Amino acid sequence: MTVAIRAEREGDRARLVPVGAFDVAHAPAVAKAVAHVSSDLEACRSIDVDLTHLDRIDGAGAVLLARLLDRLDANGNRTRMVEDRNPEAARLITLYRQKREEPPPARAQTMSALTRIGVVAADLPIRITDTLDFAGRCAAALPKTVASPRSVDWLSLPRLVQQIGADALPVTSAANLLVGVIIGFLGVSQLGRFGAVAYVPELVVVAHFRELGPLVTAIVVAGRSGAGLASEIATMQVSEEIDALRSMGFDPVRWLVVPRCVALVLVVPLLTWVGDALALLGGLMATVATTDLTPRAYALATMDAITVNHFAGGLIKSPFLALAIGLIACGQGLATQGGAAAVGARTTTAVVLAIFGVIVINALFTLLYVVMGI
Amino acid sequence: MSHSRPHIIVEDLRIGWGTRVLMEHVTFDIERGTTFVILGGSGSGKSTLLRYLIGLEQPMAGRIDIDGVGEPHRYEGVPPFGVLFQSGALFSSMTLADNLALPLTRWTPIRGATVRDLVQAKLDLVGLGAFADHLPGEISGGMKKRAGIARAMMLEPSLLFFDEPSAGLDPISAVELDELIITLSRDLGITVVIVTHELPSIFLVANSCIVLDKTAKGIVARGDPRMLRDKSEIPFVHNFFTRSSPEASVNQGR
Repeated sequence: MTVAIRAEREGDRARLVPVGAFDVAHAPAVAKAVAHVSSDLEACRSIDVDLTHLDRIDGAGAVLLARLLDRLDANGNRTRMVEDRNPEAARLITLYRQKREEPPPARAQTMSALTRIGVVAADLPIRITDTLDFAGRCAAALPKTVASPRSVDWLSLPRLVQQIGADALPVTSAANLLVGVIIGFLGVSQLGRFGAVAYVPELVVVAHFRELGPLVTAIVVAGRSGAGLASEIATMQVSEEIDALRSMGFDPVRWLVVPRCVALVLVVPLLTWVGDALALLGGLMATVATTDLTPRAYALATMDAITVNHFAGGLIKSPFLALAIGLIACGQGLATQGGAAAVGARTTTAVVLAIFGVIVINALFTLLYVVMGI
Repeated sequence: MSHSRPHIIVEDLRIGWGTRVLMEHVTFDIERGTTFVILGGSGSGKSTLLRYLIGLEQPMAGRIDIDGVGEPHRYEGVPPFGVLFQSGALFSSMTLADNLALPLTRWTPIRGATVRDLVQAKLDLVGLGAFADHLPGEISGGMKKRAGIARAMMLEPSLLFFDEPSAGLDPISAVELDELIITLSRDLGITVVIVTHELPSIFLVANSCIVLDKTAKGIVARGDPRMLRDKSEIPFVHNFFTRSSPEASVNQGR
């Protein structure tokens, strides 16, 4: 179907005749016709729009015609619709020409890279203040928890231990087993070059017990439970449940954050311990499969390599890593403002910060051990 | 004991976010045992003002004084008021009975069968006696609001706040909720503060009201809503109560 706007000129007067279907299906053709006709109307003072030959018009077509008339009016032309020929079309166009009296809200302007850096820098003190404020509230919650144990939702603790611990066991176990296999293969390929395959069990013990076991477990928990905790609390925040808690005299930090952190501190060391055992198994599988070392010889070498320092050095870190995951996830959840999109954004931030935080804390412990000569 | 002192006194309140002032010079009193309505168009700050009244936010300046509580944002202890939030704000992982039991187990030594009896009595009062073991996700929006009212009443407060109680409800549920509010105020002597813009509810339940306007950044009218409807000469207030647009009042003026 042909869509066009005919322009019939008589001196400084013009008559515009839209022809065809001015609807959403033909919107590109209508937009083209509107753009084309503008050039035919130079030096016109008075313009009539004859809607007689319109086959069909809907909101999309009416908007495009309304904008054309707005532009012509703004350029000093006098426009008029010949309404009696097609009153429905005229009403529709008029509807879209009505100006709203309320000024539109100020739109966020597109920021340049430099402005964005400035905004982030200006925002930094607020973020630091909020973080310190949350840390302070958490610290203040501890003595209050002891003084008033009923202010904590202890009944949720078994459920949280189940969700954070038991439900995560398969994935943390698999991750640790595979890391053990990787260290085993790496040890065989590198130490084998010097005929030192017998030291592979010790490598697995030292690398996994001290560093990779707590780290891998914490990263998996940060990704899995960190996201879960952050999104749960963020959803409670946007659905006014946190406000309801506060209005009933509950401190959200004590009621929500404390049991979650306690659950994490309880289960992450256990997950790490199970992961350590499975990593030894992974190392054994990799070594026995690729070398002449027997399982018995590997097990004996492993037992010799395990010391209190290696074992405890890893497990001591775990509660701190768990606490960091809990505080970051819950803190991000409580800081949520807005709707569903904010829940997603806060969850993403929580996971990223929790993983980064876990790596930083692990590095600090390693540095501490090196300084202490452990 | 004399109850001549207003239940809530708000003096020269200024509220907002950061450096942005949303409302200022807000002053009003709420008498004990009355139903007070905070009115205004969308975005006028009604629900925000409510957040300050219940102590969720700290004012930039001015004073809110709730009798027996003092400044609500500083108050710690057994909450002397109940709040019904717009969505009901029930805890989705708990049954209705557990939701209602929560304030009791937190703030009172009551346990076991007594808690169950009190919870059941409150659920019966709001017509949800048969739904004690249901999760919030299993009941309708109107039922959630009624359960929210029951939870707000668990500690027998003398003051209740309602944020848009009729929003999203069908007319019959809205009327039922209004009748429940009237019962609470008239029969139990509870002071009720409601944020709404539902005109039928306002005329049914309100003793007095304030009207907020975002352009004026504060209160533009106060008094009996029926009087304001019939006699107010402020165009915004007139338009608000007669459900007419600004253009209509301009045309009437002509």
